[in-house]
Amino acid sequence: MSTDIKENTAVYLKDLNKTYPGNPPVEALSNVTLQVSKGEFIGIIGASGSGKSTLLHVVGTLTRPTTGSLFIDGIDTSNMSDGELSAVRSRNIGFIFQDFFLISGFSAKENVENGLLYSGVNGKERTRRAIEILERVGLSHRINHRPNEMSGGEQQRVAIARALVHEPTFILADEPTGNLDSVNTKAIMDLLTNLNREGTTLILITHDLEVANIAPRKVTLKDGQIESDSSTQIENNLV
Amino acid sequence: MGIGIFSLTVTLILGIVFSRSLVSRIKRKSPSNNLFIEPTLDTSTNVMVEEKPTSRPRKLPKSKVGFLDTLRVGVSGIKTRKLRSALSALGITIGIAALIGVLGLSASGSADLMKSLDALGTNLLTIRAGEGFGQNQSELPSTAPKMIGRINPVYEVSTVSKVPGSVYQNDLIDDGRTKGIAIFAVDLNLIRAQRGTINQGSYLSEITAKYPTVVLGSVAAERLGISRVSTEQMIWLGNKWFTVIGILDPLPLAADLDRGALIGYEIAAELLGHDGNIDVIYVRALPEYIEDVRSVMATTVNPENPEEVQVSRASDVLQARVAADNTFTNLFVGLGAVSLLVGGIGIANVMVIAVIERRNEIGLRRALGATKFHIATQFITESLSLSLIGGGAGVLSGILITSIYATTRDWTIVVPLYSVSGGLLASLIIGGLAGFYPAIRAANMPPTEALRTR
Repeated sequence: MSTDIKENTAVYLKDLNKTYPGNPPVEALSNVTLQVSKGEFIGIIGASGSGKSTLLHVVGTLTRPTTGSLFIDGIDTSNMSDGELSAVRSRNIGFIFQDFFLISGFSAKENVENGLLYSGVNGKERTRRAIEILERVGLSHRINHRPNEMSGGEQQRVAIARALVHEPTFILADEPTGNLDSVNTKAIMDLLTNLNREGTTLILITHDLEVANIAPRKVTLKDGQIESDSSTQIENNLV
Repeated sequence: MGIGIFSLTVTLILGIVFSRSLVSRIKRKSPSNNLFIEPTLDTSTNVMVEEKPTSRPRKLPKSKVGFLDTLRVGVSGIKTRKLRSALSALGITIGIAALIGVLGLSASGSADLMKSLDALGTNLLTIRAGEGFGQNQSELPSTAPKMIGRINPVYEVSTVSKVPGSVYQNDLIDDGRTKGIAIFAVDLNLIRAQRGTINQGSYLSEITAKYPTVVLGSVAAERLGISRVSTEQMIWLGNKWFTVIGILDPLPLAADLDRGALIGYEIAAELLGHDGNIDVIYVRALPEYIEDVRSVMATTVNPENPEEVQVSRASDVLQARVAADNTFTNLFVGLGAVSLLVGGIGIANVMVIAVIERRNEIGLRRALGATKFHIATQFITESLSLSLIGGGAGVLSGILITSIYATTRDWTIVVPLYSVSGGLLASLIIGGLAGFYPAIRAANMPPTEALRTR
């Protein structure tokens, strides 16, 4: 089946199901099939309980689907060990979280370096690339500052830098503006849009319609299933 | 100091390498990494299959972290929480400092004691009159010194005789408050036999022994409040005035003489009417023959009633002290070990809390590509570093304590090397054990759980 995936597909979800054990079992995702091409900016909208957190976790390889396959950059992650999945995350995925998750006590530079820590890149090279990326997101004046010395918007930009520094296949953003005010929200969304224009693949998951509308392609999730997909050229009829 | 830092580094490296291999061995034995294993439908044969297909995706380079980076990450946890880390390492510091202090002080004290024994010799015999058969207190025959002198290996014989009477600073003090100072008539060669040293002034000589002069033992001088010797320094001894011409250093082989006021036999007889009966004889013989001399001593001294003669080796008391010290040392080492255990529990406690507290950090690192192994290693490194820092500080403190105390007692500073390496090794083991369970828990935390903020 992997031969049916196009060359420039970043992420391909095929008939994904995720059921949590329980009495009765909870079907968080059912029959989700989705393809994201490289260079796309896709916004996945869902209310609380729609399965968007589960989708985020599955796409980010943080949890395995019950059935179905997940292809990242053409690679089937279905039977990967924990170590192999970690390798995929360290090279192919960049995460942005609502709560930033910067390590306090580390400077912005050190936080961004963490994005390369598990990719086998040596110290000097990590520092060089971290500084480069921080300049790219407009934080060269904050390189040695700690998170508690920065505003929320700046912290999220550090997190974005960290997500970018290892040049991943795609960036996975979970409510990136959820903890920001409207001014910072606009700034972050502008930054993300610019990054996408420069070629970064973006998957953004949110419940905020206004935020999701900024993405060129919108997919809505309801009750664990894809309700709609604004992409007019749906390429998932591959069989 | 160099050795200390070197062994610290070596033990840290060994600890990390060892625990990494231990963790990976356990990881290999642990159940499958799947969160939810469900039989899947094999579409080609329409059969429910439980095993995973054997074909693997194309090989990706594994995510790896260099050794130095492992160290940095583990230590960063300590650097960002300095006060708490210091407090939790403190338990180990105290335990190790106590252990090293005890072992060091005991070694220094023993070394000093051994030095004393070497200087004083183990070939001094003390001969006293023992309990007589049916009598109160027998006496040593007056012929004894001459007879002993005839034994070939014997080269020094010196006698002491107790003189009844009290010693006071002056004649105005009430009778009764004697301060426990005894008067002894002694031979001129007593100091030589004891290998004693003079603190002030001089010992009795052939001339001065004929006059009312007195040499005070170290304790006697202290109790009388006399610290200097001069021609005006007089004491009221046996209701007569005596001039203090010397003060002795402590005599380890004859502690009762320290409390004595020593005068010559002749002046004792002349001024105090003393009969000169011998109470104690000190004998020096060639060390190789000391046991032989000892075995014939009783019969030599009192051929008719050898059972009334008590012969002992003066240095035995000192050597018994060394043995007793060792018993105390073992006790304190035990206490130190308990303290270390408590310190270890403290670190384990802190690590467990750290894992819970840094849940989000664990989740983040997993999202960045850390494997379970990396997470476990991070926390074990942190725990090892914590305990080794505590242990290192403990070693330094222990050495400091030993040095300060030994210096005040004028001992040579001896810190056994095994106590230092043992202390560091103990820190390593404790750090490894304390951090092991929290590290495994951190590693096995599902990333989705770890990333939750609610």
